[in-house]
Amino acid sequence: MSESLTIAVPKGSLYEDAARSLRAAGIDLPEDPGRKLFVIASDGTRILLLRPTDVPAYVEFGAADCGIVGADVLWETERHVCQLADLDFGACRLVVAARRTDRYHEGAQLPTFLRVATKFERSAETFFAERDVPVQIVKLHGSVELAPLVGLADLIVDLVATGNTLREHDLVVVNEIASSTARFVVNPVRYRAKYAAITALLGKLDARVVTV
Amino acid sequence: MRLPPGTRDWLPAELRRKRAVEAVMRGVFERWAYSEVQTPNYERFDALEAGLGEAVSRQTFLFNDKSGTQIALRPEMTTPVARLASTRMREAPLPLRLSYIAPAYRYEDPQEGRMREYTSAGLELIGPQSLEADAESLFTAIEALDALGLTDTLFDINHVAIVDGVLAGLELDAAGIAQAKTLISGRIIVALRARLAGTGSDAEVEEIVRLALMRGRDDVLAIARRLCHTDAGHAGIDRLRALLARASELGYGDRLNVDLSLLRDFNYYTGFIFEGFAHEVGFELCGGGRYDTLLPRFGFDVGAVGWSLAIERILLALERRHSTRFGAAPAIDVLVSGLDVVAARERAAGHVVRIDFDGLGEKELIAEARLHKIPRVVFAHDGAVREIEVS
Repeated sequence: MSESLTIAVPKGSLYEDAARSLRAAGIDLPEDPGRKLFVIASDGTRILLLRPTDVPAYVEFGAADCGIVGADVLWETERHVCQLADLDFGACRLVVAARRTDRYHEGAQLPTFLRVATKFERSAETFFAERDVPVQIVKLHGSVELAPLVGLADLIVDLVATGNTLREHDLVVVNEIASSTARFVVNPVRYRAKYAAITALLGKLDARVVTV
Repeated sequence: MRLPPGTRDWLPAELRRKRAVEAVMRGVFERWAYSEVQTPNYERFDALEAGLGEAVSRQTFLFNDKSGTQIALRPEMTTPVARLASTRMREAPLPLRLSYIAPAYRYEDPQEGRMREYTSAGLELIGPQSLEADAESLFTAIEALDALGLTDTLFDINHVAIVDGVLAGLELDAAGIAQAKTLISGRIIVALRARLAGTGSDAEVEEIVRLALMRGRDDVLAIARRLCHTDAGHAGIDRLRALLARASELGYGDRLNVDLSLLRDFNYYTGFIFEGFAHEVGFELCGGGRYDTLLPRFGFDVGAVGWSLAIERILLALERRHSTRFGAAPAIDVLVSGLDVVAARERAAGHVVRIDFDGLGEKELIAEARLHKIPRVVFAHDGAVREIEVS
């Protein structure tokens, strides 16, 4: 049984911090992955460079033994992966937001039937269902903040890191649903089959983790 | 023509492999003195409901017969076997050693290793609650996977009372304990730490989180011993320790690990539990444990331990290893052209006989045999019977 690992790493905004974490564990990653699909580090570790939302699938099906992914991505999938550590970077919040001028954030009465635009269909559905608020979810793939400005939706559910995007469009937070940071995730069977290698990596990652 | 989701056909080569795997399993069961039983593929739902957990009940295919009786396709074999043992076999001397290899049905999202129709193979050891019974259940499983050629399958063991005993030291209500066990079972460590925060001292919570990450042998049991607050939990630790010792004597020591996050359907199992897995497939290959409250639900006050596996998962693991061990096409011994009586004589002698339908001449017949690696031809025409060895 080979003990060298295959790690799923997200490209995009989390890449730099993910690479820094892994370098702390002695795995050399390129500064800029460019358009590469995977790289092999000098210690033999295979690094898959993926769209962030694809990381859970690669790990669940064992194409990667483990990976790094934002908690926000995990909320949206029903993938069975172990979440072993909070890596404490990539902080953002999933919020319900609306136009400032609608004054929902100050307690103004919401319409009886709400239309909510979001990329986070599942999280949004759960949030409103738990509060028994009937809503129609409109799934969008980008520029969600446009939806309330042009009357597509009353509310949006979206991720905010700094809040700049909301401010630019005169949107305000009505509710905070959850806060997210990057997670170290592992395939449950590979955790057992490659226990020594994975726990060694876990102990070296630059994270708030316990050593096993 | 489309099949319903989660079902499949078995083509000749596929079915040969499946039958070969089943034969190996059956051989292991027989060598351990288990007797195979069979129950109906469908039963009255009310007869099974008592034994099925809530999750499995929800996945059960249900329909009504013409009298309006609710009928269930059995979702697994343990409950029907428990029903059988509790009704038809309750006067039989204990222990009962029963095995099965039979189709079962679950309404779930079809995916690799999870079909709606699958073949369940396993055994139930009914009566004793002893260490010996737990050991027999584990060792039969290891031997079965070894016999299938999956000799590097790893086995993780646990005892459900240990985690209960560890969590008993925290301020958690029943719902909190169930949440914590779900998080431990999925190794959702981040959420586990958050859920346990403030329910005990920071040091104790951190140790429990560490225990949830761990997998090992005496080291894990030593930490569990320190954190466990119940007699049942300590008895569970003793049993795992004893099992590890017995397994070492058989040379299984390196393949066994204690994993306290292994909490298979924790409302069902009452003691020792285990799973076997291989790194090629992303789910367990087999699993089982002790379920002492099941037979009493059928009015039979005895304990039981057992395990099962899905034959389809074994086939998947073998395929991933490119194993050619099972399911080679049966060799044809002789190609016969002409008289039926000659072919009949060959079959009576125990040979596999293929009959030529194409009216081939002698030379063509030999060429045909050579092509298909058939070692012998019999050419029986015009009153002459010529037998030719094909080189």
